[in-house]
Amino acid sequence: MTFFTVVARGLIRRPVRTGLTVLGISVGIAAVVALVGISRGFSKSWETGMKARGTDIVVSNMGSSIIPKPFSTSIIDRIAHLPHIAATCGILVDLTSVENAQMIMVSARQWGGFSWNNLKLISGRMPRDAEEPAVLLGRTAADVLKKKVGDTIEIETGELSVVGIVDGDAWVENGSIILALPVLQKITGNAGKINAVDIRVTPSTSAGEVQLLCEQIDKLVPEARAVVASENITDSEVYRMAQAMSWGTSLLAVLVGVLGVMNTMLMTVFERTQEICVLLALGWQRHRIIRMVLWESATLGLLGGLAGALIGAVGVKILGMTPSLRGLLEPDLSVRLLAVSVAIAVGVGVVSGLYPAWRSSRLVPSRALQN
Amino acid sequence: MSNHLSDPASALETAPTGQSQYLFEAIGITKRFEDGQVQALRMINLRVMPGEFVAITGPSGCGKTTLLQMLGALDRPTKGSLLYRGNSIPDLRDPSRYRALEIGFIFQAFHLLPTFTVLENVQIPMFESHLSASERKARAAALLKSVGLSNRLNHFPAKLSGGERQRVAIARSLANSPSVLLADEPTGNLDSENAHHILELINRLHHEQKMTLVLVTHDMDIAQRASRIIHMKDGRIVADHQTGGARE
Repeated sequence: MTFFTVVARGLIRRPVRTGLTVLGISVGIAAVVALVGISRGFSKSWETGMKARGTDIVVSNMGSSIIPKPFSTSIIDRIAHLPHIAATCGILVDLTSVENAQMIMVSARQWGGFSWNNLKLISGRMPRDAEEPAVLLGRTAADVLKKKVGDTIEIETGELSVVGIVDGDAWVENGSIILALPVLQKITGNAGKINAVDIRVTPSTSAGEVQLLCEQIDKLVPEARAVVASENITDSEVYRMAQAMSWGTSLLAVLVGVLGVMNTMLMTVFERTQEICVLLALGWQRHRIIRMVLWESATLGLLGGLAGALIGAVGVKILGMTPSLRGLLEPDLSVRLLAVSVAIAVGVGVVSGLYPAWRSSRLVPSRALQN
Repeated sequence: MSNHLSDPASALETAPTGQSQYLFEAIGITKRFEDGQVQALRMINLRVMPGEFVAITGPSGCGKTTLLQMLGALDRPTKGSLLYRGNSIPDLRDPSRYRALEIGFIFQAFHLLPTFTVLENVQIPMFESHLSASERKARAAALLKSVGLSNRLNHFPAKLSGGERQRVAIARSLANSPSVLLADEPTGNLDSENAHHILELINRLHHEQKMTLVLVTHDMDIAQRASRIIHMKDGRIVADHQTGGARE
C-alpha cells in the first residue's frame, strides 16, 4: 500500500459524490475547451485562409461588426502605388443566409486579382468573365448547400449558376461561396463598393517594412485600417468581445467547479474527522494529512479535467457537424489547449482543497479517544 | 529499550535534559478544560519504570483517559512537568513523530479505518517509518500472524468480529515497534471470552517484547493482571501499589 492508495480510498468511499464532483468540474472544463477552442479556431482558420490566398495586409474597417463596413473601390487606386505593394485585390465579403445554410461566407473578388489564384478546381470550371452570373463553391460549402456543378443558387435577389467546386486550401475558403466582385456588387446594390482590400507585398519586404506600409496606408485611407493579415480578425472588436465572453463564461464555469470541489472536500473532512484524528493519534504528521486532502482534491480536478477535455472536444466536434454550423466551425483543439485545460482543472482541485486541508490540519488527535 | 526503526532521540527532538531512569515522570500535572471550569487532573505525580505493566483504574470521569492522552502527547497538561526519558513531552518539537515511533495506541472502539483492509490498517502507522512499501506489507503480515489473523489479511474491518478487530488494532499498535503501549479500555467493547483472549494477547506481547504497558480500565479484575495499579478519583491519584508482578 502506498500513500496514493490512501488517497484513492478517500475518493472511492463515496463514489457517487466523487462522480458528481468530477462531473461538475468536467462541465466547467468542457466549457473552457469548447469556447476557447472555437474562438481560437476561428482566428486560426482566418489566418490560414489569408495565408492560402497569399494576402499579407488587409485593409478594412471592421468596427464593431463581424462584417467590415463597405467603402469605395477607389481606395485601391490610392494605395496601389505605395512601395513594397506587389498586388492588390478588392474584396466584398458577407456573412449571410443562403438557401438552407443559416450562415455562410460569400466572398466576391476583384476579377483577375491574386485572391483567385489559390483556388484549385475539383470539378467544373472557373467563371468565364467578371460579369457571368456564376459562383464557385468551396467543397465544404457545396456539401452544406447540397449543390453540384450545374445547379443554381439564390443569393439575395440573384439566381446564379454553380460552375465549379474548388479547394481553397483553407477551412474558411472551403466554406465560402466565391464569385466575381461585380456580380455581388450588382445583386446586393453595392455598386462601386468593396469592404476589404487584400494586399500582397513584394517578397523581400521585411516585417518592419510591412508595419511601416500599414501606417502609410492608414494615413492615405482614413476610412479604413490596414493590418497584417494574421491580425486582421483578432484586431476586430467583435472577435475581442467574443473572446472575452468565452473566457468570462469559462471562468464562471470554473468557479462553479471550485465551489463543487471545495464543498466535497469539506464534507469529506467533516465526515472523516474521527478518522483523521485517528491518523494523527497514530503518528501521522499534519503535513501528511494536508497532503492527503490536497492530493484527493487535485485528483478530483485531474479526473474532471480529463473528462472535461474529452467532453469539450467531442461536444464541439458534434456541434460542428450540425446543419446550422457545418462549415462555419473549426475549433482549435490543440494538445496545448487540452493540456492547459487539464492543468486549470488540477489547479482548481488544489485551490479548492486548501481550506479543507487547513481545516483537517487543525483537528485535535485526542478526539480519537472519545468513543 | 529503544525503537528499532529509529533513534529515539530523533523522535523526541527536545533538548536532552539528561538520561532519566524513569520512562515517564509526571510532576504536579494539572489539566483544566472549558475555560478552566472542569479540572480533569489535579497535581498528578507519577513515575513509570521501563518495562512496567501499569493499570490505571477508577470510576468514569476520574481523569484516567486524560492522563493516558498526556502520556501519548495527544493533549498537553495545563500545569506541571511531564517527561519521557527525561524529555518534556509538551515541549516536543514533533509530537507526531513521538506518537508514531515511541507509542502504540489501543483504543476501546478499535478505530480501524473502514475503507482499508486488515493488512492495510496495520500499515497505516508505518508511513512515518522509513520502511518501503514491500517492507511495510511484510511487517504488517508478520504482526497479523502474531495476533492470529493470518487468514483475515484482505478482509475489511466490517467483516470481522469485535475480538478480531481489537487484534488488528493491537497489531497496528505494534507497527513501529514502540517502547510503550497505551491501551484505553481495550476490552470495553468485547464480550468476556473475547476480552479474556485480548488481555492474554496484550500480556503475552508485553512479556515477549518487553514493552512498557499502561492500561486504563475501570475493571479491577483486569487491573489485577498488571504489576502495578494506580487508582484515580476526581483527577487525583488516590492509591498506587504493586501487585507482585504481572500474570503471564
